[in-house]
Amino acid sequence: MEYPIIVVGGGHAGCEAALACARMGVKTLFVTIRKGDIARMPCNPAIGGLAKGQLVREIDALGGEMGLCIDYAGIQFRMLNRGKGPAVWSPRAQADKTAYHERMLSSIEAEKNLDLIEAEITAIAMEEGKARGVRTADGEEIKAEKVIIALGTFPNGLMHIGEKQIPGGREGEPPSRGLSDMLAGAGLKRERLKTGTPPRLLKESIDFSRCQVQPGDEDPAPFSFRTKKLDVEQIPCHLTWTGEATHAIINANIHRAPLFSGQIQGTGPRYCPSIEDKVVRFSEKPRHQLFLEPEGRDSEEIYVNGLSTSLPEEVQLEMVRSIPGLENAEIVRYEYAIEYDFFPPYQIHSTLESRNIPGLYLAGQINGTSGYEEAAAQGIVAGINAVLELRGKDPFVLGRSEAYIGVLIDDLVTKEIWEPYRMFTSRAEYRLSLRQDNADERLLGYAVRFGLLPREQWEGMISARKAVRRARRRLETESVTLEGSGKMRAARLLQRPGVSLEDIEPLLPNGPLGLGKKEGESLEIDHKYRGYIRRQDRTAEKLRRMERRKIPDGFAYKDIGALSTEAREVLEKFRPETLGKAARLAGVRNSDVSVLMVFLERAGDER
Amino acid sequence: MHGDTIVALSTPPGSSGIAVIRISGPEAIGILEAMAPGAREWEPRTLHNCPLYGHGPQLLDDVVTAVFHGPHSYTGEDSAEISCHGSMQVVSAIIEEIVRRGARLAGPGEFTRRAFLSGKLDLVQAEAVADLIASETKLQTEVALLHLKGLLSGKIGMIEKGLRSKLALVEASIDFSEEDIETYDPGELETVASTYTALIAHLLQSEVAGSKLRRGIRITITGPRNAGKSSLYNALLGEERAIVSPVPGTTRDVLRERIHIGGLTYHLEDTAGLAETGCEIESEGIRKGREAAGAADLVLFVVDAVEGWQEEALEELEVHAGSNRIVVVNKADLVPGGGDTTSLSPAGEERTVAVSAMTGEGLALLRDKIFDFTTNGELSVVQGELIALNIRQGIALRRAMEALERLVAELGKNSPAEILSLELREALDACGEVTGKSAAENILDEIFSKFCIGK
Repeated sequence: MEYPIIVVGGGHAGCEAALACARMGVKTLFVTIRKGDIARMPCNPAIGGLAKGQLVREIDALGGEMGLCIDYAGIQFRMLNRGKGPAVWSPRAQADKTAYHERMLSSIEAEKNLDLIEAEITAIAMEEGKARGVRTADGEEIKAEKVIIALGTFPNGLMHIGEKQIPGGREGEPPSRGLSDMLAGAGLKRERLKTGTPPRLLKESIDFSRCQVQPGDEDPAPFSFRTKKLDVEQIPCHLTWTGEATHAIINANIHRAPLFSGQIQGTGPRYCPSIEDKVVRFSEKPRHQLFLEPEGRDSEEIYVNGLSTSLPEEVQLEMVRSIPGLENAEIVRYEYAIEYDFFPPYQIHSTLESRNIPGLYLAGQINGTSGYEEAAAQGIVAGINAVLELRGKDPFVLGRSEAYIGVLIDDLVTKEIWEPYRMFTSRAEYRLSLRQDNADERLLGYAVRFGLLPREQWEGMISARKAVRRARRRLETESVTLEGSGKMRAARLLQRPGVSLEDIEPLLPNGPLGLGKKEGESLEIDHKYRGYIRRQDRTAEKLRRMERRKIPDGFAYKDIGALSTEAREVLEKFRPETLGKAARLAGVRNSDVSVLMVFLERAGDER
Repeated sequence: MHGDTIVALSTPPGSSGIAVIRISGPEAIGILEAMAPGAREWEPRTLHNCPLYGHGPQLLDDVVTAVFHGPHSYTGEDSAEISCHGSMQVVSAIIEEIVRRGARLAGPGEFTRRAFLSGKLDLVQAEAVADLIASETKLQTEVALLHLKGLLSGKIGMIEKGLRSKLALVEASIDFSEEDIETYDPGELETVASTYTALIAHLLQSEVAGSKLRRGIRITITGPRNAGKSSLYNALLGEERAIVSPVPGTTRDVLRERIHIGGLTYHLEDTAGLAETGCEIESEGIRKGREAAGAADLVLFVVDAVEGWQEEALEELEVHAGSNRIVVVNKADLVPGGGDTTSLSPAGEERTVAVSAMTGEGLALLRDKIFDFTTNGELSVVQGELIALNIRQGIALRRAMEALERLVAELGKNSPAEILSLELREALDACGEVTGKSAAENILDEIFSKFCIGK
């Protein structure tokens, strides 16, 4: 058997990678252990959220599947940060986990260039140091030009429930051992990370009347640019809080928490601390907020967001029952923590191709990230790049000023990963431009060029953009009269805080602008942020210039005495592809950047 | 090619008791070792006495050496210092031998540049070293030393720390808005922004002082012919620099020399006396003198106490009405206190001094006035410490201040958090430009250390 590309791992990264390859016209083999596990959500029953919502919109604009799936499987939609400016609005939806899986599986099965098989992969087949296919647990070898691996938490996964330890990749599933060890044997450095998931409660055992209701948005917005209208009956979530009683139980049993006893070695994420961690570190806080989220429309399980713990089972139950509304709650599934191998991403290029093993691409948690969205984003980028490389085309690398995906991957190749990496809006220095509302304007062009979306999508967006431009010109030329403030240009009036396009439109002398809802919103947002974005663009240009200065592969940092010792070490380790990336490495100072600039110039002259 | 070995004489040229030669670069220690055959192994950063040999071998001098292994040296590279006897012949012979063995003569400031490039000094400190080397007066030296000790870096560091903690609050309100955590208080943020704006404004005042400290201040002596301008010039210089004669119009060209008053460097200019003249050369001299006076930071207008205020002198003085000027009534030894000329001075009493260039009477007072009227208290003392900024630091700090001013304006408009963050980040970025380090990075670390975050 032989395929141009093989994708290994049926999680969110693998799905987007496989679909991207197939849709770009490459015959692709997609290998997962069980079809029933395609696009499963082992943790949060939600897609999107702060900064993650932007990622989903970007994946969608690149022709990815995640947005369409959640639009189909969503049971509650909210636009977060509505109280802030539109640049930081983020869509989030509660997902029906089963529906999400089914929708993704059907898309994959419908893709004619994609063959889905069930198998466990235990090794990468190598030829002259390059990836040349995969080997299954049965010893069968399948050849390929490019291999993308997206193994999630499976590599040497070890689950902890209190003091119990069970090898496993996910609840009820065995870990993957061979592949991680094989890669380590081939020279890839690996380290351990840790993450966890809270207990699930039986829905009918919860007294929701003692909790606060959190409904979805009245006018829910879809994730995908391709979803014209969301027709969904929404289900509420609920809020409750821990209290003194809960904290007393935790403090009395803290010595039994593996995170505190030192039994767990891997580093957990700081943004997702266990409840015992919160109680110990922030002892002055009288209560901690918990979200009760349904696992699906008809699911009997409720996910307790905020109650990650590594305490033993009986303590978990006692703790849960000390919480208002959960007095009689029954735990369906206990919380577990999981430790797994990852391959620190200073070993990959921005294309997600391994430095050590050409032809091998790594995507998702194997690169040290956390989150379905972060995984999916890497998946689509790995897929696109594998195809481009196969065809001898230029790589696809998004800039930090272009997309959250660009920020994500740039961070991966320039930062030490100490904890599972999660996206935040504060990581994106150009976030005023990287909005959920304009992801299509930023990225749709790529999708069309790569053949991931039909040309009509692009044309539709261009004509919408033209309409917005015409409307903007009208605002700049037409004057309106507002009670109390006299006559002024419509554009100036719109600049005022609290004035919306809706307020202005009826006042325009030449009638309404005739824009759709999305276009009107985008016009308004652009207009309000204009001055700030222009300032941001100037610094972005500086960044782009630095990014254009490539550092040749194999550049000999050790010969440059003028670099500080620390900088030299970091540069040798990360081997940045550009001067911009070099400048972003921790330990590389401005003076080191100046030194590099001088040497690069000299190297350029000599060539 | 950087990474080669450089050598230079570190003490001033000329005969002295001891001269110090510095070598820096990968070959520094090797070269020195080769020149001292038979010397015991040198312990780093320790003084050793040994004879140095040149080609031949020929004994060059008996010297004291110290070697430093990178990065524990001033330049961050391997380096060595040789203290030899201070005769120029010895010094040249040693340097020549070092060059023969593969080093090259260092360019100006090259040791400091290497220290900066190897990360041993931050930008402010590197600039301070340059200032220190160029400094001629005690005041300049003091300011440079304070910078070297990181006083300015410390101040900026304090501002950065305050801004970072506020930025963390603002960012947390965006990235963790779903969680019940403490958020920023706009009133408090405004107070912080205003406080730092004021602090930076205060620092910026010393920018003027900084440029005066570095460039020196121009003073032009002008006035009618034969008022004794050149005598005053010589008296202030303390030497007979300008030709003095009773013949009117002796001075033709603009003369310029440096003097020091109150720790500052002044460029003192003597110009041709002002008069209607048929002489082409003289009128060219007068034109040049007027030009000089126009560009000066301070004009000393000299009149003759005996002649008093002639029509011509009054007219000329009028030309400089807009400039920073002091009227100097000369020849006060002939008319005690300068007589009417002093009391009737159109410049007013405060800006008029009676002196005698001949006897030296009144010169001390004139020096005091020169210092006062050229500094206007601008040699600002910031919380009891002197901070004088250079142009680059001034530009960066102004950018920080403007961002903070915009932040206050945005707070007044109830602008959302992402806009406040934009200004805070810009202010931090600008502060980082002063010290050469980026401060807005890793704001997430700040957030995680502060808040209980995580669902």
